[in-house]
Amino acid sequence: MTGDDRWYEAAFVVGITNALNVVADGLGAAVMPAVDPATAPPDVATVFADIRAFYGTAPGGGEVPRPFGVIAHDAAYLADVWAAVKHAFTERRLTRRVKTALAFAVSLTTRSAFGTAFHLSELRRLGVGEGGIREIIGVTQMFSSYTKIADTLQLCSDMADIAPVDPTGVPDAGAG
Amino acid sequence: MPTVRLRDASEYPEPARRLFELSRQWFAYDFKEPPAMSRVMAWDPHFGGPHGRAMKRAMAPGEFSRGEKEMVAAAVSGANACTY
Repeated sequence: MTGDDRWYEAAFVVGITNALNVVADGLGAAVMPAVDPATAPPDVATVFADIRAFYGTAPGGGEVPRPFGVIAHDAAYLADVWAAVKHAFTERRLTRRVKTALAFAVSLTTRSAFGTAFHLSELRRLGVGEGGIREIIGVTQMFSSYTKIADTLQLCSDMADIAPVDPTGVPDAGAG
Repeated sequence: MPTVRLRDASEYPEPARRLFELSRQWFAYDFKEPPAMSRVMAWDPHFGGPHGRAMKRAMAPGEFSRGEKEMVAAAVSGANACTY
């Protein structure tokens, strides 16, 4: 890990959140049966139990979030996706509260009905008050305005000077 | 390339230049020219004024810190595929 570790953590949260949302929202009302936790084979049931524990739902019951249920027909794939999700959201340099706020903001931005509702529920479960939730909504709203203004006018980033020197030599896509 | 000519700070009237100073303080950075977005917003103070106040209100520390909110803003910008 380097000084950039917070940003790597944030990027992984954003990416895997979008991956879950794509499956949950993209499939929508399509007939795509999820694995029933009550009849799941042992290896899937083990992952489901871990998912429930991570999200604080009752060990013996409660729903498994839809994107996991849908992909659970392949137990090995489910296990790997879940391992990535769990690792991304586990508290390290960024708190789980901040990671969930990022997931909520990204879900709201991408109009994910599943992700917005799911991470809103998670924020509340993690103790974020209604005021804090409104703060994230406000930031999401304002920067959804700035970004579109910037894109419409095709503005080039002028914030690069603020960032520390990047030793990798990777070109700045916003420069020029 | 921007689709408009971004005016230099010196081309703006005095009230706008005072806002640029506030922008410099907000970012705590001495830009050679005010950020492009600040200059865009100053083009129409009747839009940029309230928009900027709403942004500062949204970004003020509360349950989440300014730093945490900047990270949320970066994630939203990324989700909107905005390089600015």
